[in-house]
Amino acid sequence: MRMGAMFTDVIRALFQRPATRQYPFERTASPDRLRGKLNWDAEKCTGCSLCVKDCPAQALEVFMVDKANKRVVLRYHLDRCTYCAQCVVSCRQSALTMAHDEWELADTDKKLFTITCGDDADVQRLADLAPKGVNEQT
Amino acid sequence: MIDEKREKFIIPIGPQHPALKEPGHFEFTVDGEIVTAASVRLGYAHRGIEKATESRNWTQNMYLLERICGICSHIHALAYCLGVEKLAGVSAPPRAQAIRVIVAELERIHSHLMWLGVAAHEAGFDTLFMYSWRDREALMDVLESLTGNRVNYSANLIGGVKFDISTDQRDTILRALETLEERSKHYLSIVTSDMVFLRRTRGIGTTSAAQAEKIGLVGPTARASGVARDVRVDAPYAAYVDFPVKLVLHTVGDLESRFVVRINELFESYRLIREILDHMPEGEITARIPRRIKEGETISRVEAPRGELFYFIKSNGSDMPERIKVRTPTMCNMASVPVLGIGQQLADIPMILAGIDPCFSCNDRTTVIHQGEDGDVWTWERLRQHGIDFYRGQP
Amino acid sequence: MSEILAILVFPGGLFLLAGGMMYEWADRKLIARLQNRVGPRWFQPLADVVKLLVKEEVIPSGVSTFLFVVLPIVALAGALTSALYVPLAGLAPTFSFSGDLIVALYLLSLLTLCTGLAGSNTTDSFSLVGATRTLTQLFSYEAPFLVALLGPAIAAGSWQISEVNAYAQSHWMAFLQPVGFVVALIGLLGKLELPPFDSPEAETEIVAGAMTEYSGRGLALFYLGRKVELMVGLTLVASFYLGGLNNPLEFVLKTLVLLLGMSVLQSLMARLRIDQVVGLWWRYGALLVLGQWLVLMLIGGFTS
Repeated sequence: MRMGAMFTDVIRALFQRPATRQYPFERTASPDRLRGKLNWDAEKCTGCSLCVKDCPAQALEVFMVDKANKRVVLRYHLDRCTYCAQCVVSCRQSALTMAHDEWELADTDKKLFTITCGDDADVQRLADLAPKGVNEQT
Repeated sequence: MIDEKREKFIIPIGPQHPALKEPGHFEFTVDGEIVTAASVRLGYAHRGIEKATESRNWTQNMYLLERICGICSHIHALAYCLGVEKLAGVSAPPRAQAIRVIVAELERIHSHLMWLGVAAHEAGFDTLFMYSWRDREALMDVLESLTGNRVNYSANLIGGVKFDISTDQRDTILRALETLEERSKHYLSIVTSDMVFLRRTRGIGTTSAAQAEKIGLVGPTARASGVARDVRVDAPYAAYVDFPVKLVLHTVGDLESRFVVRINELFESYRLIREILDHMPEGEITARIPRRIKEGETISRVEAPRGELFYFIKSNGSDMPERIKVRTPTMCNMASVPVLGIGQQLADIPMILAGIDPCFSCNDRTTVIHQGEDGDVWTWERLRQHGIDFYRGQP
Repeated sequence: MSEILAILVFPGGLFLLAGGMMYEWADRKLIARLQNRVGPRWFQPLADVVKLLVKEEVIPSGVSTFLFVVLPIVALAGALTSALYVPLAGLAPTFSFSGDLIVALYLLSLLTLCTGLAGSNTTDSFSLVGATRTLTQLFSYEAPFLVALLGPAIAAGSWQISEVNAYAQSHWMAFLQPVGFVVALIGLLGKLELPPFDSPEAETEIVAGAMTEYSGRGLALFYLGRKVELMVGLTLVASFYLGGLNNPLEFVLKTLVLLLGMSVLQSLMARLRIDQVVGLWWRYGALLVLGQWLVLMLIGGFTS
C-alpha cells in the first residue's frame, strides 16, 4: 500500500514531449500494408466479376462493354467500401491492389465517391449504353 | 422520514449516460447511497446481424460478423472461419493457424489494456486511463502494420489468413511486446498497491466461485473468482493445440482480482506470442475452400478477450448459410451486474459494471421484452401495429 | 468612483474573470502535461464560457424558476465578492477589516451552498444525489479547511487577511505549520470539487451531479464562479502559507507553484466515494489540524 503509485510517471511526463500526435500537422508514414483506396489494372482484368460477388459492401460493379474485345469498366463506390481487401484476394488475375498511401478520402461532395475507371472510350460507351441518370444512381 | 412513505428513488443509467459508451439501460433503486434493487434492459443496439447473414454468401458474412464487435473483431471472424472450415471438412494450414492465434492474442492485449483504462476512468483515475491507452497505442501500430488496419483487421480468410509475418514484422512485434511487458508490470504494481485506488477496488463486488458458477460467468470475470474456465485450455482450437496456454486464476473475486487476472493474462499473451514467433510452422497460409459449403451444422467455440464466444452455423449446401447463431460473452456476464450491485454503494456501480468488461453491441442478438403479453409468436402486422400504438401512446 | 472601478474592473470584476479563466487553463494544461497529453490552448476556458452564454438556457419543469435563475448569480457574486478581501495580484486587499478572513471564507462557501440548493431545486435524480453529495462534502471539509486557515491567523494574532499576509512575509507558514498547509491544500481541492473529491459531480455515476439540469447561462455562471473561486482560494492559501504576497510577480509565482502541487495531487488519485471523503476528513483531516492547533496554542501559551 502506498500513496500516489503513479508519481514517477507523472513527474517524468512534465519533462517529456506529449505522446499526442498532432495530426494533420504531424504525420507519420502509413505502413506498407495499410488498406487504402482500391486501384484497378484494366489490362489484367478479365471481367469475371468474382470481386463483385465477394464484396461484402456492394462497393464494386463490373460492366462488360465489349465482350469480344474484353473491354471492361469498373465502377468503384468509395463510400461503401469497407477496405477489407477481399476483392484483392478474390481476384485471380491480380488486377486489384490497395494503395497504402491514399487513405484520406473524406469529402463533402458525394459525387466524388463514385469512381468509374477504365479506358476513356469505354467509359463513354458505358454512359451511352446506360439509360440517362444511371451514373447518379447509388 | 417514515419508511412506508418513502418513495422509490430510482437512478436510471443509460441508454445515454457518460458512464456507458454504448446503449444499455439500468435502473438502480437507491436508499441514500446504497443500492437496494437493480434491473437491466438490453437490446438498444440490436442490428439484425444474424438475419442478415442469411442473405450473404459465406465470404461476405465473415466481414459482417467481424463487425459484431469493434474491439474483438478478429475473434468473431476466427470463430466463424473455424466453424465453416469444420463444415467444409477443410482445415487451414498450420502457419495460418499460428498467425490467427498471434493476431487473436494481440487483440486480447489491446482489449485488456483498453479495459484497464476504461475501468480506471470509471473509478475517476484518469491518469491511469491516459497512460494505459498511450501504451496501447504502440500495439495498435503493430496491428496496423501487420494487418493493414487498426480495428476490423480482416486478417482471416475462410481457409487461412490474408498475410504472412515477415522477419521485419516479427522484430516489430517483439520490440513492442518488450515495452508493453515492462509497462504491464508497472500497471500491475499500481493496481495492487495504490492506496486510493485500492479503496475503490478491494472487497468491492466480490463474487464467490459458487456464485460465479451459478450466474454462469465466463472469461476473465469467472477466472477472477477462481472458476477455471477458458476455451483455449478446455477445448484448444487453431494453434492453441501446439502452443498451450497457462490458465490465469485468482481466487478472491473482487474488482481488484479482476484487474490482477486481466493484467496477468497480458503476460501470458506476451509469452505465447513470443513462443509462436520463435517456432513458426512453415508452409502455406491458405487452403482452397469450395464456394458452396456441404450441408450440415456445427458449433464453434473460441475464447474472446471477454470470455467464451459461441457460434452455431448451419448450412443447407448452398453458398449462403441457413442459420448462424452467435452468443457473446457479455450476455453471460451481464447477469452478474444486478446481482452484485445490490447492497453496494451507488458510486461502485459503474465499477462493477465495467468489471465484467461489457460490450453491448456484441450481446444484443435478440430482444424479448415481456409486457404482460403471453409469449406467442407475433405476425409482422401485429408487431407493426404494436409499434404504432406504442408510440402514439407516448406523451 | 475608485471603489466602483475596483469592483468592476480591478481587482474585482473583469480582472477576476479573466484571471480565473487563466488559472483554470493552467490547471487543465498542467494536468494534461502530467498525463502526457497536449492539453487545451489558452483560450479554451473563454471559448467554453462564450459557447455556454450563447446557448439557450432550458428551465426544466417542476423547479422554482426564481431559484433556478437566481442561484447561479448568487454563487458568482459570492465568489467575486470574496476576492475583494484577499491580496489579489499581491496588492493590498480592496476592503479590509478585522475578521474579514471569516467573511471571505463564508463567501467562498456560498458557491458550494448554491450548487447544493440548485441541485435540490430540480426533480432530477442525478441532481438530487449530486446535491446531497455536494452538501455532505461541504460539511466534511469545511471545518478542517477553516481551522487550517486559522492556524496562520492565530500565529499572526489577527483574523484580518492583510495582517496575516504581512506577518507571513517574515514567517514561512508552510514549514512552521506543515500539517495545516497540507490540509489547506487538500481542502482547496475539496472546495473546488476537483479529483479526488469530485464525487459530487462524478460523471460516470451521476452525469454532472447538481449541475445536470443546468445549461446555457446558468451553467456558465456556475463555471465562472468555480474559476474565480480557484483563483481566490489559491491566493488565500499562498498568502497564508507561502510567505505572503506583496507584489504581482510573487503572486504569480507562488500561486502557480501551489497550482502545480494541486495538479499533481489531482492526477495521482482515483475518485473517493462520498463515505470515504467524510471518513477521510473527520478521521484524519480534522484530527490532524486540531492537533496542530493545540500544539500551537500550547507553544503560544508558554512563550507569551
